[in-house]
Amino acid sequence: MLILIAEDDELILRTVEHKLLKEGHQTILTRNGKEAIEKIKELEIDLVITDIMMPFASGIEILSAIRSFEKELPVIVLSSMGQEEVVADAFDLGASDFMVKPFSPNELILRIKRLAGK
Amino acid sequence: MDSIFHRVTIHELIIAIVVVLSLVFLLIMLVLLYSFYKYKVLYQRQIWLQESEQKVIQAIVSGEEISRVDEEFITRLRNPSFRNVFLSVLVASDQKFSGGARNEVNNLFKIYKMEDAAWQKLRQRKSYLVAGGILELAVMRVERAFPDIASLLEHPKRQVYQEAQYAVVSFKGFDGLDFLNTLVVPLSDWQQLRLLRSIGKLPAAHEEWVKNWLSSSNESVIIFTLRLIRKFQLLPFYADVINLFDHTAVNVKVQAIRTIAALENDETVNQLIAAFFTQPIEAQIEILRALKKSRSPQSESFLQQQLWHHPAISIKIAAAEVLIALKQHGYLQRIATDETVPEEIKQVIKHALQEKT
Repeated sequence: MLILIAEDDELILRTVEHKLLKEGHQTILTRNGKEAIEKIKELEIDLVITDIMMPFASGIEILSAIRSFEKELPVIVLSSMGQEEVVADAFDLGASDFMVKPFSPNELILRIKRLAGK
Repeated sequence: MDSIFHRVTIHELIIAIVVVLSLVFLLIMLVLLYSFYKYKVLYQRQIWLQESEQKVIQAIVSGEEISRVDEEFITRLRNPSFRNVFLSVLVASDQKFSGGARNEVNNLFKIYKMEDAAWQKLRQRKSYLVAGGILELAVMRVERAFPDIASLLEHPKRQVYQEAQYAVVSFKGFDGLDFLNTLVVPLSDWQQLRLLRSIGKLPAAHEEWVKNWLSSSNESVIIFTLRLIRKFQLLPFYADVINLFDHTAVNVKVQAIRTIAALENDETVNQLIAAFFTQPIEAQIEILRALKKSRSPQSESFLQQQLWHHPAISIKIAAAEVLIALKQHGYLQRIATDETVPEEIKQVIKHALQEKT
């Protein structure tokens, strides 16, 4: 699978990247929402993992953009504690799943497998 | 005479210029050297940061097979600056990951003997170092550090006692909150959220403690307890929370109202309306927020009354906003277009409708 990761925390970004590569996926790394939207528009991505709060465009804006591109794309949202309302907005915009930081990369892999199997 | 004076002046002038230029050159050199030094420090720190992160990533992704002792890395960790960077990356990682990944990060603490560095910090005099040592020992879950950390709960420096509070709760969960029984200093909002986040479950015998904290003389302890009740939906304390509507502190009243809204039952709307008239403005606004959240048609006539007769504009606006949430647009638009209605009420409704859009 070609998976896009949108995350401004370098350690999380690279850990998730390495974990996905080990699982045999291909990755595209973006460090802000604007860059992520551009990549989603131009490439055939299979799944998106996005942080909620990011520079230039948030995870919510990424979800809105995916909707406007009319792409059927599973999206896993990474949120922090206390962002329940934003997560609810994310689900309204078509998010498939969410995880709260601190999160387990192993569990993230399991959720990706579950979404890929649907 | 003039000519000699002229020559001497030129000579002196040249010397002065040379001296000034030398000083300027020296200053430029100093600034350049200092900038170069700062750049080198920052660059080195960036490299150490990347190396430390790479170590963490390897451990999380590949597990023990890779994270076994790296002798060269141990040698480099003898440099105190590098050790501090590595330690800060480990602490940050512990707060970003959970499950197996967190265990791997914890292994790195042990493999590279970072505990010793944290103990050393705990024995320093500077409060930021002591606080850093407490955080690191708590993150590493060094149980035997608990007595030393608990003894710092009464430390005069806020940075130290706050970190000690967080650490005892990280170690003991709810039981670590016993410092609240005697706490006299305020518990900041941020600290309350940190502590709440560290408590995953409540022991069976929590009731007596919670009751005790609800009657604390420390306002922030009561507010923290109300947040705890909200987080764990502690319904048996419903009546105790209602009693706090009569507390003297406005902040406690507001938090009590917020908590009752979170524990809502069939009686809540009527109880909030009954309490409304004896409350200060801040608490009245909170009651209106609670009514907005409950969206109960029971409150319609009460809200209309506040819109028409309450003396405070902020309450009129809040009441109109709740009526909008109750889908009373028709009622509000009728008033807004009625020529006999006072201009003030019309403005309030227009404002509330604009806020909605």
